[in-house]
Amino acid sequence: MSSRFLLPAGLLGVATLASLAMIFPGATASASGHADANQVSITPSHVTTRACGTVSVKGVTNAVPNAGNPFLSNSKTCLNGHLISYGNTAITYSNPPQSFISAGRQLFAQTCSSCHGNDANGVGPDGQATIGPNLQGVGAATVDFWVSTGRMPATDVKAVEAERKPSRLTPVQALELAAWVNSLDPSVPAVPNPHLRGADQSVGQDLFSLNCAACHTIEGSGDALAFGTNAPSLQDRQVTAQQVAEAVRTGPANMPRFSGNLSDAQVADITAYVTEKLQHPQNPGGVALGGVGPVAEGFVALLIGVGGLALICFWIGERSPKDDDDDEHTEGGDDPDPAKAQEYAQSGQEHA
Amino acid sequence: MSDADHQPSRTRVPMPVAALSDPHMGDAAKNPERTEQIIAVILFLAIVFFGVAGAAYWQNWSDWIFGGALGIGLFALGFGLTAWGKYLMPQGPFVEERHTLASTPEERDVMSAALVERSAVVVKRRRVLGGLFAAGAGVFGIVAAFPLIRSLGPVPGTSLETTGWRKGMVLVDSSGRPVRKETLVVGGIMTVYPKDTVNTETGFISDQGQAVDQTVLIRVSDQPFTTEPGRENWTPAGYVAYSKVCTHLGCPVGLYEQQLELLVCPCHQSMFNVRNGAVPQFGPAPRPLPQMYLGFNDDGYLIAMAPYDQAIGPGFWERNS
Amino acid sequence: MSNTAATTKRNKKQALGPYGRVGQAVGELDDRLGVAKGGRVFLDKIFPDHWSFMLGEISLYSFVVLMATGVFLSLYFIPSTQQVIYHGSYKPLDGQWVSEAYKSTVSISFDVRGGLLIRQMHHWAADIFTGSIIVHMARIFFTGAFRKPRELNWIIGTTMLILAILEGFIGYSLPDDLISGTGLRIGYSIAESIPFVGSYLVTFLWGGQFPGTGIIIPRFFIIHVLIIPLVLIGLLSAHLGLLVRQKHTQFKGEGRTENNVVGSPMFPTFMAKTTGFLFMVTAATAILGAFTQINPIWQFGSYDASKISYAVQPDWYMGWLDGALRIMPSWELAFWGHTVPLEVFLPAVIFPGIVFQIAIMWPLIERRFTGDIAMHNLLDRPRDRPKRTAFGVAFFAMLFTLFAASSTDVLANFFHISLNVVLWFFRFAFFIVPIISGLVAYQLCREMQGVHDIGQRKRALIVHFSPEGEYSTVPSATRPDDERHELDPEPVPVRIDIEPLSNGGIRQPESSPTGARQVNR
Repeated sequence: MSSRFLLPAGLLGVATLASLAMIFPGATASASGHADANQVSITPSHVTTRACGTVSVKGVTNAVPNAGNPFLSNSKTCLNGHLISYGNTAITYSNPPQSFISAGRQLFAQTCSSCHGNDANGVGPDGQATIGPNLQGVGAATVDFWVSTGRMPATDVKAVEAERKPSRLTPVQALELAAWVNSLDPSVPAVPNPHLRGADQSVGQDLFSLNCAACHTIEGSGDALAFGTNAPSLQDRQVTAQQVAEAVRTGPANMPRFSGNLSDAQVADITAYVTEKLQHPQNPGGVALGGVGPVAEGFVALLIGVGGLALICFWIGERSPKDDDDDEHTEGGDDPDPAKAQEYAQSGQEHA
Repeated sequence: MSDADHQPSRTRVPMPVAALSDPHMGDAAKNPERTEQIIAVILFLAIVFFGVAGAAYWQNWSDWIFGGALGIGLFALGFGLTAWGKYLMPQGPFVEERHTLASTPEERDVMSAALVERSAVVVKRRRVLGGLFAAGAGVFGIVAAFPLIRSLGPVPGTSLETTGWRKGMVLVDSSGRPVRKETLVVGGIMTVYPKDTVNTETGFISDQGQAVDQTVLIRVSDQPFTTEPGRENWTPAGYVAYSKVCTHLGCPVGLYEQQLELLVCPCHQSMFNVRNGAVPQFGPAPRPLPQMYLGFNDDGYLIAMAPYDQAIGPGFWERNS
Repeated sequence: MSNTAATTKRNKKQALGPYGRVGQAVGELDDRLGVAKGGRVFLDKIFPDHWSFMLGEISLYSFVVLMATGVFLSLYFIPSTQQVIYHGSYKPLDGQWVSEAYKSTVSISFDVRGGLLIRQMHHWAADIFTGSIIVHMARIFFTGAFRKPRELNWIIGTTMLILAILEGFIGYSLPDDLISGTGLRIGYSIAESIPFVGSYLVTFLWGGQFPGTGIIIPRFFIIHVLIIPLVLIGLLSAHLGLLVRQKHTQFKGEGRTENNVVGSPMFPTFMAKTTGFLFMVTAATAILGAFTQINPIWQFGSYDASKISYAVQPDWYMGWLDGALRIMPSWELAFWGHTVPLEVFLPAVIFPGIVFQIAIMWPLIERRFTGDIAMHNLLDRPRDRPKRTAFGVAFFAMLFTLFAASSTDVLANFFHISLNVVLWFFRFAFFIVPIISGLVAYQLCREMQGVHDIGQRKRALIVHFSPEGEYSTVPSATRPDDERHELDPEPVPVRIDIEPLSNGGIRQPESSPTGARQVNR
């Protein structure tokens, strides 16, 4: 009796497992936990501040408030003419300390120069353009983002886009590289440190759905975009608030760069929504099914719902009766015997 | 009261299959007492779980406890009853003869005769009367359709071909801030609306602004460029603006890939190249997104120099393209 | 004392007759309605025991769940697109402009006790409802149960499927969240694409250009809670009424002929099983609703036509339409100042029209090919009708390919290949997959026809070596599970040994279900 269930039950089980594996592909990978070490805040030294000298701000052509640049910033800290930090109550942007520069130079020569050139200018020793782009004038935040998210140093230089992976370098090393690259051509944005305590998740949700969800999806799960590019998942709890703010302000790879259209307060709001809600979603309804949406829900409804109920039917009902006339099998064909059909038809008519 | 007093009422009606010896009892005959006990336990479990569900509701425990208890209780109840039916009640095969649905030819004739002949009594011109009646019913149907259908909404007129954009309108973002030359850096994108559709105080954007006037503003380069011949000065300072309503099915085209310079529709993945006038490169969209003629006003704010030169959004019969 | 009490009790009992209060109640009812004779026949109605005959019951009972949970939801839902500022339990929406419909749905999920469970049960039941209709329909199709005299019931059934899909789509749109609002926007554009009448249709329905004058949600609400359910109930009654009138089909087997039905009686066996099954279907929706989250609209936010999420997909039963829209090339016709958006009109209006036409008209289509006008009460095995089976498999394969095409982005992401490649793959697969699967199904049916005892477990052959040096093989004994001892079908037995009471109040029943013939005549 029970062995009759084995085949359908087994099939159902395998199908369920397969669909679960599709729904939670990253279930095992994401269990590796928090990476608080990535979050390094720099305390700028306030010992001697002087008026800031000229700051080269590549890509920012004029004074725009709240665009991740130091113009009109209400707290600027400078040391010996170098911009140390700037920002406001929403985000503090800080450049790595100057003492990091020498270590950064060595590290760059070891790990980055083969692709970006010895001077990080995208020109190789032979005068030809290197594989990697010119990094001069991109600002410390750009370097820190690419290195701290593990995208650089790249493992596959021919890939359409560098994928996020565990960083080969420590957060401090990322800042050292940023310090050296930025010292070649000082620029902004500096490394942002969003202050999430006063941030408004509701504004963040509103702006996220207008500006970010088109690529990252409304649940932040990320997806494949055009021509082999993709939007990375933001549900991954390895994504720190600092990295979110860096990505918004620098526009890495194909991501648009948000500058004057999002104020620092708005960026902090979005960051708060991403790190506090998307990464810790409220799922009072039970298992969230991976945030893939109706397709996953459909699979569950069909496999577990209809499939499970069909299995119950299988238990309640009987299996097929044994055929008493085996010759029926060999008859085949779709066209029933005309004589027989006639007979049936008559039986229908004359059964009165 | 003694057991003996109850005895008469408990006398089973001697239905032949109600006896365990009957082959129709099948599985039940194996171990009826045990089966009955198991079913009793299952049904009791149902009561227990319904109790848990009640407590969960009363104490406002989380929904999964309430629902889970309710579900398990219901399942136990159903399972118990079904098992009772399956193991302790007579099973087939029993047979029922199928009666023939069809009537005899005579009965059919009587029916047809009634239909055909009764209505023809006395009346000479059945066709004329019948036709008049049918015409009357038809006219009624048409007249009745007017309030049923025509009252639903306005005729489209030219409403599908126009947007709220007028010459000189200032572009503002979702919180009502106007756009200056330095608002976006190269590779930036934002959604803009006509100034009067966004209430700066409350942050409320009108339906018309959201659904029809929505426009994507992208800074593709530092310098003005030409997307298509005839649109030479439409992109001041490298800003280019397209209607955000996809020409395929009207989804907002909010997905911009800055290195590929592609706008992608998130719904069905149509891809539009923003440097070349948003001509579709891939996917089901049939037409380029309409481009907006941009300029700066005296205050340095970005404005529309003209309304869209064509109907935005997906195609429809009256669209003149 | 106790003795006299017992005696009066006994007397009372005797006054009630041998069947006690039940007998009394039947008598009272029969005096007024004359139910005893027909009711008895109904209790003897035979239901075939094959498990696949219960698939339709999943639909029936999930519809019951839908009605019950739907009534609950309608007490709290506000069908209005009036914009209000949300202040409620879900903090990430606090202070945002949302529609009343959305606000009330979030409030059902967070603030009404048990509301989220009921909402999720309603949605799961809707998914199961459409799913089980399709599974039930597949069973009917592949076994040929739609043939004469049941064509009308097939047509009623397919109409109910279409209504169920429509009802699901409309219900999905009601909360006015970002995902469903996008779906509604797409629905608007599809309606708009119809030549001649499209633009009139949408301005009439929506009250103007999208998003209209806020009238669509109230209109959808009344369609969802009143009009379609009413039509569904009517069709469902006709569906079941026809089933009773025409009686069940059955598989071929011992004692089963074109002129009888073999199975278990309505009362008590089938009634116990089916009532139990009602509870189990309800339990399935409750358990899914309790443990698996469906459509978390609070994460999506209220609909705003300028907001969008990537990878938006409709509920699964609309997925094939979405897939068709995705893989369709951009063929727009423009001529003489008019536009026919074929890239929408073909996949989203013409194509489903053809699909549903084929589904509805199938009994007639098949008859045209086979010329089979006979009455059929015995079912086909799918393998015995290879052409029909192949067509059905190809048809489902085509729809499944389109369903898979609705998640091109998910597949591209999962397999790390370019979205563009996936799309081109599906453009070819749409034509190739149905052909291949149809041919494979046809060949499989042919092969299975030739195999004796197919579907039975294989039995080992024991080789004997006789003293004469001759080899012979004998099949080993069957396993206990494989043995089928089927009794000969016999009419449902009745008790016939009641002594008639002295007052003659009880007619002596003597009939067997063959009496049904006289009654139903």
